[in-house]
Amino acid sequence: MSEAALDHASAEPGSGRGMPSIRIGWRNLWRNRRRTWLTAGGIAFSVFLVASFMALQVGQYDVMMENATALMSGHVQIQNPEYLDDARFEDTIEDAGALIDRIRATPGVLSVAPRVETFALASVGERSFGAQLLGIDIAAELETVRFVKMIREGRTLEGPDDAVLGATLARNLGAAIGDEVVILGSGREGGVAAMVLNVVGLLETGMADLDRVLMLAPIEPVRAAFGLGDEVHSLIIRAEDVARAPSLVRTLSEELPDSLEVRNWDRVLPELKQGIEVDRIGGRIMYGIIMALVVFSVVNSFIMTVFERTREFGMLRAIGMRPLRIILMLQWEAFFVCLIGVAIGLTLAVGLTLWLMEVGIYLGEAMQDYARQFYMPDRMYPALSLEALMVSPLVMFIGTQLAALLPALRIRSLKPVDALRGE
Amino acid sequence: MSDPVVRCRSISRTYQDDSVPVRALVNVDFDVDRGEFVSLAGPSGSGKSTLLNVIGGLDRPDEGTVEVDGVSLNELSESALSDLRLRKMGFVFQAYNLIPVLSALENVEFIMQLQGIPAQERHERARAMLDELGLSGMSDRRPGEMSGGQQQRVAVARAVVTHPVLLLADEPSANLDSRTTEELLKLLQRLNEDHGVTIVTATHDPLVMSYAKRQVRLRDGEIIEDSARQAA
Repeated sequence: MSEAALDHASAEPGSGRGMPSIRIGWRNLWRNRRRTWLTAGGIAFSVFLVASFMALQVGQYDVMMENATALMSGHVQIQNPEYLDDARFEDTIEDAGALIDRIRATPGVLSVAPRVETFALASVGERSFGAQLLGIDIAAELETVRFVKMIREGRTLEGPDDAVLGATLARNLGAAIGDEVVILGSGREGGVAAMVLNVVGLLETGMADLDRVLMLAPIEPVRAAFGLGDEVHSLIIRAEDVARAPSLVRTLSEELPDSLEVRNWDRVLPELKQGIEVDRIGGRIMYGIIMALVVFSVVNSFIMTVFERTREFGMLRAIGMRPLRIILMLQWEAFFVCLIGVAIGLTLAVGLTLWLMEVGIYLGEAMQDYARQFYMPDRMYPALSLEALMVSPLVMFIGTQLAALLPALRIRSLKPVDALRGE
Repeated sequence: MSDPVVRCRSISRTYQDDSVPVRALVNVDFDVDRGEFVSLAGPSGSGKSTLLNVIGGLDRPDEGTVEVDGVSLNELSESALSDLRLRKMGFVFQAYNLIPVLSALENVEFIMQLQGIPAQERHERARAMLDELGLSGMSDRRPGEMSGGQQQRVAVARAVVTHPVLLLADEPSANLDSRTTEELLKLLQRLNEDHGVTIVTATHDPLVMSYAKRQVRLRDGEIIEDSARQAA
C-alpha cells in the first residue's frame, strides 16, 4: 500500500480534519519489522490453514452429497407420507403416470424415476433368501441414478422377465447368469404374488448392505404380479444441480397435492447430513482453536507495543491528541498487520486450492474402502467457496481488532504526566 | 494593567512515593503575564516540573485553582483538557518527543492536522516555520536522522506553529550541548520578543535562566524567589 494512498485515505475533503492515525498506524508497523512479520505470519498461517481445510471440507461434502444422491436416492424423493411411516405395500402414490409427466415439466427437474418397492422371498433351486425387490423403469433410472450401471457381470434389464441381482445375494442363492429366480411375496390385496424371472446381470454397488438384498426387475411386471395399477411407492428426482434441490422441494411441495411428501436429499439420507454436520462442527472447533491461538499472540504483540510506547502516548496526550484517536491509531495498526497476514494467507490458500482442484489428493489404498463407504472417490478435490474464503479473514479481522483494543484501552486511563515519565 | 495568561492560586500537590507523601507544591500563587519569558528554577524535587505540568493541565492540583487564558482547568474533563492543550498550548520536552515515524515537516504538520487545519495551509505553515527555525533542509528527515539540537528545534516548531498562547518547556536544554543550547535559547528569545510568545520553562540550567526575562526559584514546593516581585 502506498503512502500516497494512505494520505488520500486520511484526508477528509473539505473539513481539513484529516486522520493522521491511518498514516502513523501504517508506518508504526515498520518500527519493529520482525514483530510485524511474525504477527502477520501467524495470521497468514491461520488463514491459510483454515481456508485450505475449509475448501477441502467443502469439496469433500460436495462430492459426498453428489455421490450419495447420484448412487441411488436422487436429489429429491416423493412418497405417500404413510408409506414413510410404516412402509406398508398398499400406501402408494396413485395416478403415477400423470404425476411423473407433471414433475418432468417442472423447471429444474432433470429426470424422474418411478419405483415399486417390496420385500419378497427369492429362490434359486433349493436356496431361498429374503430380497428387496425394486420394480424400476430402467431408462428413467439410467438418467437419474448410477447404481443400475454397476453391473459386475451380465447386462442390465431389457426384457419383461429380466432380473438383476445384488452380487452377494446371487452368491448366497447360488445364482448365475441365465438361472431362473422365483419371487414370492404378498400382493396388494393380501394374496400371494409370484414371479419367475431370469437372472441377466449381477450388481455390485460396493455397499455390502445393498448387494446382499437388492434385486431389480422391470416395473410393469412387478406391478402386475403384486396387484398394483398406475401406482408407485417412490418417485426419484434428479435436479439440474444438488444445490437447487431445496428450492425444487419448495416448488413441488406447493404445486403437488398435500397427500404427497416431497423430501430433500438431507431428509432421505439423514446419516449423511449428520455426518457432514459432525465433521463441520469438528472442523469449526479446530479452526476456532487455531485462530484463538493466533489472536492471543496478537494480543501479546499489542501489549508489548503499548508498554514500549507509553512515553510516546503520553506525549501525544500532552500535545492534545485524544485517547480515542490514539486507540484508533492502534486499531489501524492491527488492521494493517491483519490485512498483510490475510493477503498472504489467502493467496497461498487460493493457489493451493486451485492446484488441488486440478490434481486432487490421492487418499491411498487403505482409504479406498472407507471412501466408498462414505460415497467418496479415491481422490479428494477441494472446492473454493465464499465461506472458505470469508470466514477466517473475517474472524481474524475481528480478532485482531479486539486483540489490539484490549491493551489499547489502557491508554484511556493513561495520565500524560506519568506516561511521559515512562511509568 | 496586568494581562495574566496563567493564574495559579493556592496550588498544592502531594505525591505518594512508596507510600510516603511528598509535597511537590505547597500553597503556590503564581501568575504569568502575556508576553513573558519565565524560567522556573530550583534543584531536583523543588516542584518546578510539577508546577509546569499543573499549568499545562498534564497534572491536577490537590488544592487550589489554575486558569489558562481565562479558562479554569480545575473544572475541565480530560477530553476538554486535551482540547485546551491542543488549542492554547505548545509543549517542548526534555527528550524532544517527536513522532519517530514522521518526518520533521510531518511532525510540525501533525499538530495542525489534529486541529483540523486544511492540508494546503498546514503544509505551507509547517514549511515556513521550519524555514524560520533554520531547518529548511531537514523537512524530509525523520527524528532518528537528526541531531539532538535539530530535533529540539523541530519540537519548538511543532509547539509554536499553531500560535499557542503559552509555550511550556520542561528542561529543554537537558540533552543539548552548550552551543546548541544557546542556539535554542536565542530561538526562544526571538519567538518571545518578535512574536510575543509567552514562555514558561522549567530548568536548572543557569544559561536558560539567563535568557528568561523573569526568574522564579522554587524549593521544597514553594516559591522562594521571583525576580518580578523583587522588581516591583
